[in-house]
Amino acid sequence: MSAAARRAARRSRWLNLGSFLVLLALWLLLTTPLVAGKPFVAPLFLPSPMAVGETFMTLLNNGYQGKSLAYHVGISLFRFGLAFVLTLLVAVPLGLWMGMNESVKAVLDPPIEITRPMPKLALLPLLIIWFGIGEVAKVVIIVLALFPILSISAMQAVRGVSQRKIQAAYSLGASRWTVFRRVLLPASLPGIFTGIRVSIGIGITMLVGAELIATTAGIAFMAMSAADFLLTNVVIVGVLIMAAIGYTLDLIARAVENRVVHWGGKEG
Amino acid sequence: MTVPASDRTAVKARFEGVSKRFGSGEDAVQALDPLSLDLAENAFLCLVGPSGCGKSTLLNILAGFETATTGRVLMDGVPVTGPDPKRGVVFQQGALFTWMNVADNVAFGPRALGKSKAEAARIAAGYIEMVGLTTFARRYPYELSGGMQQRVGIARALANDPEILLMDEPFAALDAQTRELLQEEIKRIWQETRKTVLWITHSIEEALFLATEVVVMSARPGRIKARLSPQFAHSKDPAVVTSAEFVRMKADIFALLREEALTAQQQEAAR
Repeated sequence: MSAAARRAARRSRWLNLGSFLVLLALWLLLTTPLVAGKPFVAPLFLPSPMAVGETFMTLLNNGYQGKSLAYHVGISLFRFGLAFVLTLLVAVPLGLWMGMNESVKAVLDPPIEITRPMPKLALLPLLIIWFGIGEVAKVVIIVLALFPILSISAMQAVRGVSQRKIQAAYSLGASRWTVFRRVLLPASLPGIFTGIRVSIGIGITMLVGAELIATTAGIAFMAMSAADFLLTNVVIVGVLIMAAIGYTLDLIARAVENRVVHWGGKEG
Repeated sequence: MTVPASDRTAVKARFEGVSKRFGSGEDAVQALDPLSLDLAENAFLCLVGPSGCGKSTLLNILAGFETATTGRVLMDGVPVTGPDPKRGVVFQQGALFTWMNVADNVAFGPRALGKSKAEAARIAAGYIEMVGLTTFARRYPYELSGGMQQRVGIARALANDPEILLMDEPFAALDAQTRELLQEEIKRIWQETRKTVLWITHSIEEALFLATEVVVMSARPGRIKARLSPQFAHSKDPAVVTSAEFVRMKADIFALLREEALTAQQQEAAR
């Protein structure tokens, strides 16, 4: 990275931090009793950062509805993680295969294309009838949402591999398998990672949707049930934890991407 | 029109009545009229012609990337049916494996042919040295200039020790100075290795400077318009380009090509 680029990156980091601090200050301003002993916004609607922090500590120590906070977070991560890994293992190879073989694409395109624009949450009632209110319906709904994203991104990535690179490999004596392993697959990785990062965001959204209905554990369940009792502090803790989970997963995905796609997808 | 090899050396590759038609019905484009051409062993044959005359198609058919609509292509008397490591290909640009460093790019061919990792690395190191990139062996293609990337492409194609080198405007995307230096380098490599080369270029000077045979093609559908045998390929002096003979041949080819380029332009305008 050049010195100018480094300076720009450092500047961006300071601006990020500044923007974050301004938002925090605004939250403080709205919730601190400055005039006539009353805050601008009642704690019922927006508790102060300190109150939320205290609630977080209480939840950490005592749990919520008989289950520890770690359990609620853990079960949410388990649902998402299981669905994500399952989809990744099936959808990406299938997408690559579709991208390389017109017949496979012709067979698999209709089910994927027909279900792709459908809002998957609408299927949740049906899935609950089929699979009950246990973990299966929640995992399945996330799988259904992620499948088209990951398979289509893998398919498009492999179809976008430059013909010249493929021809070069064949003219160097590579077998079909070598061309796949050493050319098509690495050249598709940037596109696959784009799909992975999009699917993390969508997967978390689906997770929250799935946990709002017929659940007794999970971080979104905690926020939703706390809202029934107007426990705004708990709701905010839940929302912040979900945001942190999404952010952390994206950070991990980006770190893995930077390691695996070390050439940055740059053309040479 | 059949053009026999100009000298008595063996024929390395032969195009026999090769034509190419893209598409079908009314949209079909006749890229290449039936054409026969011999590529003599150890020759450095340059194809020059206006854009769209089918010279790249000809190269792609010999490479095995495309099939001829009519006719056939033989190498050592055997019909070409697909890509083969005996025919190394260097592309204009964007054909390097961007996820591999220079050493791995060049070692790709030997590895694909079943050489051990160590053996492939040793072979690669030799060719990387030949193109003067030893200190860049651990770099990735995006860290290299356009000229260096083309050197990698050349080393990669040479690493399989192919019998024919097919080069499709390998220097077209480079700036003039880099191009001239690389032309001298290619000439040196050809003088050392005496590979049979089929080279496609837009540049008359490049063709005259490098080739033992220059084949001028007509506008689409491509036909052979003229065939010349310049002698500058054997010279080691970069200043041959200023000799009277060079300048005269350049003017001849220029006149031939100008006619064809005008025809090609009219074709473009008519579409």
